[in-house]
Amino acid sequence: MPTCDIFCNVIDNYGDIGVCWRLARILAHEHGLAVRLWVDDLPSFVILHPAGDAEAEVQQCDGVEVRHWYGTLAGVQPADIVIEAFACRLPDAYIQAMLPQPPVWINLEYLSAEDWVESHHGLPSPHPQLPLTKHYFFPGFTRQTGGLLLERDLLARRDDFQPSAFWQKLQIDPPAEDTLVVSMFGYETPALPSLLNLWARGTQPVLCLVPDGRMTRQVQAHFGLPGRHFFNGRLEVRIIPFVPQAEYDELLWACNINFVRGEDSCVRAQWAGKPFVWQIYPQDDGAHWPKLQAFLDRYHADTPELAAATQPLWQAWNSGSGAALTAAWGDFVAAHGALTWHAERWAEYLSGHNLALNLLDFCQKTGKIRAFQNSGTAT
Amino acid sequence: MKIAQEIRAGNVVMIGTEPMIVLKAEYSRSGRSGSVVKMKMKGLLNNIGQETVFRADDKMDQVILDKKECTYSYFADPMYVFMDENYEQYEVEAENMGDVVNYIVDGMEDKCEVTFYEGKAISVELPNTIVREVEYTEPAVRGDTSGKVMKPARLVGSGFELPVAAFVSIGDKIQIDTRTNEYKGRA
Repeated sequence: MPTCDIFCNVIDNYGDIGVCWRLARILAHEHGLAVRLWVDDLPSFVILHPAGDAEAEVQQCDGVEVRHWYGTLAGVQPADIVIEAFACRLPDAYIQAMLPQPPVWINLEYLSAEDWVESHHGLPSPHPQLPLTKHYFFPGFTRQTGGLLLERDLLARRDDFQPSAFWQKLQIDPPAEDTLVVSMFGYETPALPSLLNLWARGTQPVLCLVPDGRMTRQVQAHFGLPGRHFFNGRLEVRIIPFVPQAEYDELLWACNINFVRGEDSCVRAQWAGKPFVWQIYPQDDGAHWPKLQAFLDRYHADTPELAAATQPLWQAWNSGSGAALTAAWGDFVAAHGALTWHAERWAEYLSGHNLALNLLDFCQKTGKIRAFQNSGTAT
Repeated sequence: MKIAQEIRAGNVVMIGTEPMIVLKAEYSRSGRSGSVVKMKMKGLLNNIGQETVFRADDKMDQVILDKKECTYSYFADPMYVFMDENYEQYEVEAENMGDVVNYIVDGMEDKCEVTFYEGKAISVELPNTIVREVEYTEPAVRGDTSGKVMKPARLVGSGFELPVAAFVSIGDKIQIDTRTNEYKGRA
């Protein structure tokens, strides 16, 4: 059985560990690899996988060996495939241990829709001092990139999804047909109060579900109460527990519009096939703006008429401008039907480009791992 | 030691035991605060080229090379021959000339900088700005002297084509930025 080490350095929030945990499970469950996931921040991992143990050095979680990553890792035998997520630095002793039998060494990069990604995807990165070569693997939205993480059965489960069981699990009455159901997962933003006020004053009932996280306190502050269930005019807000990854997908499927942030939840919103609003990870020097625009350009390349509904809202949400957000919301909601149609087709288009399969294919092509069939099953 | 982000085209870095000349370096912002540098490199010993990508903060050993000021002398296929002030001649392989080959003209007097690795001439650089004569371009457009409208022009000697201002005529001498291959103005 081929082995795989995935290294995850948790920087903040749940983006890094979210992607790594998902990739680890896909490689183990769908492709038969023996996966070790090295995580330097187990409490963050346990939030995504509540059955995990934040103190354990080694634990088996859902078919993946999860290891606490600290120290030099001296004496650890590297796997056949070594994936460092988001250019985290591997310990020197582990790199030295690669020398006798160099593995396929991959740096899994951040997701970006920018054009330059295509020309960088798959390029080698020779170690400046040692006879080892790492390869850069870029997720992306085109055939010239590595694709996106997608579980084999995800879209079928999405299509068979019955919301009633989901609402029951959350202990929430199923919303009325005319209610706009919104999930709200994001970083704090000064635009949030304007949006909540707009919904409260609107004509359509809005149910806003906020998973526990950075926005929780901002919501509570907005209502001036420490509770988890709020009403104001036509708006009902419910703060719900932070859900494991599989349940988060169900939340996205159950809603009409999803506000998402960072990388992993943005990708999941795209698989949900619902209109969404992406809050990109903000960078000090504004480097996130061209990335946001690059995605918008790609997402609406064939639907420029819908870009006029999406772009102003996304820009307002990311800039934190409540006034701009209020102005843009009407067009976005008015286009909801067309945006849903587009989101479904977009998910279908993306589904032909599976990151895990592309990654294993890439590993095979480097000439080091030959034991995979096209189906992705290890032999 | 330098970090990848500081490496420029023309620099030589050690990759393992191989000195590699960087032909092109392109910086891009990745996610979070990360950045990557894509480099087109060529081995000085084996002449094998490859495209690579590094983290912007990857550390590299830069090789400091000898340089000499020379002038172009003649072409002896496949070598371009340059001569220093002591009339010593140095041969540079055509494929190592890079964009310089676009501006080679018999009798050119530009002071070139030839780079050496272990006594062997491996590359050549032109001054940042040079002057060349236009061999052919479409007739000048009357009235437009803004320099914003461009048209192609072919240079005397190399036959290299580049965009120039619409008012440039055959026989005009033009200034060119050799770092970007861009027209700068009439000389």
